[in-house]
Amino acid sequence: MKYLNKPILEINKLLKEKVIKPLDLVEEAFANIEKNKALNAYITLNKEEAIKTAKELENKEVDNILFGLPIAIKDNIITKDLRTTCASHMLENFLPIYDATVVKKIKAKNMIIIGKTNMDEFAMGSSSRTSYFGAPKNPWNTNKISGGSSGGSAVTVAARDVFLALGSDTGGSIRQPASYCGIVGMKPTYGRVSRYGLVAFASSFDQIGPLTKNVYENALLLNAIVGKDDNDLTSADKESEDFTRLIGKDIKGMKFALPNYFMSDIVSQEIKEKIISVSKILEKLGAKVDYVDVKYLENAVTLYQIIAMGEASSNLARYDGIRFGYSLPNPTSIDNLYYETRKTGFGKEVKRRIMVGSYLLSGENAKIYYNKALSIRDDMQKEFTNLFQKYDLVIGPTTTTTAYDLTDPMDDPLKSFLDDVLVIPVNMAGLPGMNVPIGFSKDNMPIGMHIIGNKFEEAKMYQLASCIEKELNLALTPGGEINE
Amino acid sequence: MNKYIPTIGIEVHVELKTATKIFSNSINGYGQMANSLTNVVDLGYPGTLPTLNKEVINLAIKAATVLNCKIRKEMHFDRKNYFYPDIPKNYQITQNETPIGYDGYVEITINGEKKKIEIEEMHIEEDTCKSTHRSSKTLLDFNRAGVPLIEIVTKPCISSGEEAKLYLEKLRELLYYCDISDCKIEEGSMRADANVSIRKNEQDPLGTKCEIKNIGSISNVAISIDKEIKNQIELIENNKQIKQQTKRYDDKLGKNILMRTKETGNDYRYFPEPDIPYVILTEDMIASVVKTIPMLPDERRKVYQAKGVSELNANKLVQNRSLSDYFNKLLDTNINFKIASNILLGDIQAYLNKNEKQISDTTLTVTRFEELVKNVEDKTLTSKNLKDILVTVLEEESSISTIIKKSGIENIQDDQALRTIINSIISSNQETVNDYKNGHDRAIKFFMGQIMKETKGSANPKLAMDILLEELKK
Amino acid sequence: MEDKLTKEEVLHVAQLARINIDEDELETYQIELKKLLNEVEKISAVKGYDDEKLIASWDRKTELREDIAGEMLDPKEVINNAPRHSGNYIEVPVVIGDES
Repeated sequence: MKYLNKPILEINKLLKEKVIKPLDLVEEAFANIEKNKALNAYITLNKEEAIKTAKELENKEVDNILFGLPIAIKDNIITKDLRTTCASHMLENFLPIYDATVVKKIKAKNMIIIGKTNMDEFAMGSSSRTSYFGAPKNPWNTNKISGGSSGGSAVTVAARDVFLALGSDTGGSIRQPASYCGIVGMKPTYGRVSRYGLVAFASSFDQIGPLTKNVYENALLLNAIVGKDDNDLTSADKESEDFTRLIGKDIKGMKFALPNYFMSDIVSQEIKEKIISVSKILEKLGAKVDYVDVKYLENAVTLYQIIAMGEASSNLARYDGIRFGYSLPNPTSIDNLYYETRKTGFGKEVKRRIMVGSYLLSGENAKIYYNKALSIRDDMQKEFTNLFQKYDLVIGPTTTTTAYDLTDPMDDPLKSFLDDVLVIPVNMAGLPGMNVPIGFSKDNMPIGMHIIGNKFEEAKMYQLASCIEKELNLALTPGGEINE
Repeated sequence: MNKYIPTIGIEVHVELKTATKIFSNSINGYGQMANSLTNVVDLGYPGTLPTLNKEVINLAIKAATVLNCKIRKEMHFDRKNYFYPDIPKNYQITQNETPIGYDGYVEITINGEKKKIEIEEMHIEEDTCKSTHRSSKTLLDFNRAGVPLIEIVTKPCISSGEEAKLYLEKLRELLYYCDISDCKIEEGSMRADANVSIRKNEQDPLGTKCEIKNIGSISNVAISIDKEIKNQIELIENNKQIKQQTKRYDDKLGKNILMRTKETGNDYRYFPEPDIPYVILTEDMIASVVKTIPMLPDERRKVYQAKGVSELNANKLVQNRSLSDYFNKLLDTNINFKIASNILLGDIQAYLNKNEKQISDTTLTVTRFEELVKNVEDKTLTSKNLKDILVTVLEEESSISTIIKKSGIENIQDDQALRTIINSIISSNQETVNDYKNGHDRAIKFFMGQIMKETKGSANPKLAMDILLEELKK
Repeated sequence: MEDKLTKEEVLHVAQLARINIDEDELETYQIELKKLLNEVEKISAVKGYDDEKLIASWDRKTELREDIAGEMLDPKEVINNAPRHSGNYIEVPVVIGDES
């Protein structure tokens, strides 16, 4: 590996000085991906187009820090003329006819799209094992899961195939795989990044965010993708800001809350110990860490299930075999077309969630479940607002365990939700949340810390994350050959 | 038949006259090549999201206002979930919980009495795509998908087909006058469904209802409702049960045709649309829309009649919006409105119809029309004169007086000059004077003919007649 | 709590979702769906919240779009992705019932 493990700042300098060309980076990326093929991080590679773009960029001025850098895109983000499958048989051959807003922004900054990354089908799952294309593997141990649903994006960044990747996070799908793979992952404030072109799973939670090998580069990618979008009514009207601006500033005098629930029995001892040791470092640096009680945290998964499955059942109704996607050949009637297309096109996890979601909204149920969940969500948000009046940030572990075995049973429908129990409250409250690596378990699997910020305070989160990163100075490149 | 009280509720869908669709910026158009007016949002492509057209909100505020509805200031949209090939996302974005308008009414006059048809609510939603059915397949054209609609729902307060018809006519007139919709039933821009039930007493609960869908014309609404009432009465009289059914009216057969019998209620799984945040209407926004509402049809009828226009003419004027708008521009002048309405609805409308023109296509400015009316009123122009010069008046720009002069039909208005001519005719026709005195009416005809001959038709006939009779009496 | 749904209950939600379920899958769904439903049932125990209900984009207010036309698709693009079409129309098996 010559370039892809280097800091972006250094690469940018080399590009500017014409020591290297974007094509060098692209070629190294594809060579790495080929070498790491067994990780199964990609569903579709964009090789021909990426090389073409890289060559075109040779004649262009290096006008921004992300210029010419290879980037991987989660396969639920729409890319024009580049197959977008959502890891589903339903969209196995789907060729989009428009670009997502974030993809337009990526292209405008002259980043080079390397391919579309593997994920849980329609982002439903926590291990990327619901992918129609088989599960990606954890570069730290190929017998372990990558986490999910943005598993492929986390894997390819951890394996240093690319500098940057985009994922999406509905209930932890960026932060949890980032934690399992030992990288930095940010789920921005709901509304920070346009959802236009992100295939909807649960509209009121879905948010696109960056996955990178370090904190600074994460902030750089976030800089490039935020902004109000007229195509997305839920996107927020915020002035653009530099998310790197607080990086390196000391954290003396800052106050952090550590909810007791995040340190309860649901979390493994090993992880709790790591969190405690990091919080001691923070106190040593002059910050204050308080253990606090936060209402509704233990209800978050239930509320999340209701809203997410309810919305998903409606969002996924459009896959009916009529306008695009998989369609039953030779249907005998319209119902035959619907029932068989959706039976064959969707995998089991997706079907379960659609059916439960339909039930939750049917008849009087919408009032009992969905509307009630919305009311409590609102209260939960207020709870966090109050908390942030007293504290700068909330911290805790990102996951309850480290990445588990790929062969662990998949028959418990609750498992995929419980894997995300610590990260889901953030989506419920529309807050930004991020993972930063803080060490390794005894079996050498990455452990991550979860940092939660108040709305639109991502910059402050990067400040703390970069401080931890610097203090711990971990070796975060998976060692040795990653071939099976 | 009087033993039963029919109860009818009507739901009307109206397509709004906007440039673009409700949730996307593709064109809201009719009669174009199939699937040529769509984009990825209309087709429900993965990843697409709705935006909300401002003009839709404006037109809905207008509609709510003229339907005397209360307007909700804070509202959201809901998803109505059901699978059907004509709804691209398999859910329709509508307003279930917070309709923009509620508690309104439309006033009709039935058998000389006024009745308020109460509006339960009025909400905004998106139209479906157009399906064409062939023997083994259905063809989908998404040009209509996402066209903005308002649905107006009455309370079950209508009691006959005639009332329903009057209500729909009134509704159409209001929406059309406010430029909210074209209201063309034949093009589907206005569609009516009726719910019909009967019961014996006011105190009884409402009977089982039958829904008649998509009735093709307003007059058929009355016919199909009355047929359904008759049908339900017959069923009850024969001790048969009324089933909850959906029917459609077949114009050719003159019958309501059963479409389906409802077994269970639809489960639409409504929930608030998470892709569209709250819509907040400010007083300013509402006020600026209300300002654009023109004088409404009923008000026009009242004003016209107050100005001396006959009821018949007032109605005729209101039926023709461009003529009525034109007439409104004259309201500040002090011309004879009765004459003005006669001219407008007579020779001018005949000309417009014949030439397929609008009044605005002619050269008849308000000032020139005012002059024309005055000339008719003071008898400078006879109705024959008017016919003679009409084309010139409507197609050229010179003043009316110039046209009158040029065409040489300046009527002799001068009393004295005409009297001299008449006296000379009398004195040279003494025999006819005697005939007159002996009661022969023919004599008058003869004299009038002579007068017109002598004046080359330029005498004001009424004036000539008055002077003639006066002179003959001497 | 019951540990599984009845077959009828599963078939009912499968019908709402338009998903065909084979006879041999029924049993699994009866158990799995019930597990999920038992979990969401926990919401009934949540008390003391404020009844106000807010839709997704909490503090956001809808910004209205000007009524100006934008780009549209060529009918060819519309039918290209469609599994079945005739001419410029997208085709489905004949739908009997409502005409609209």
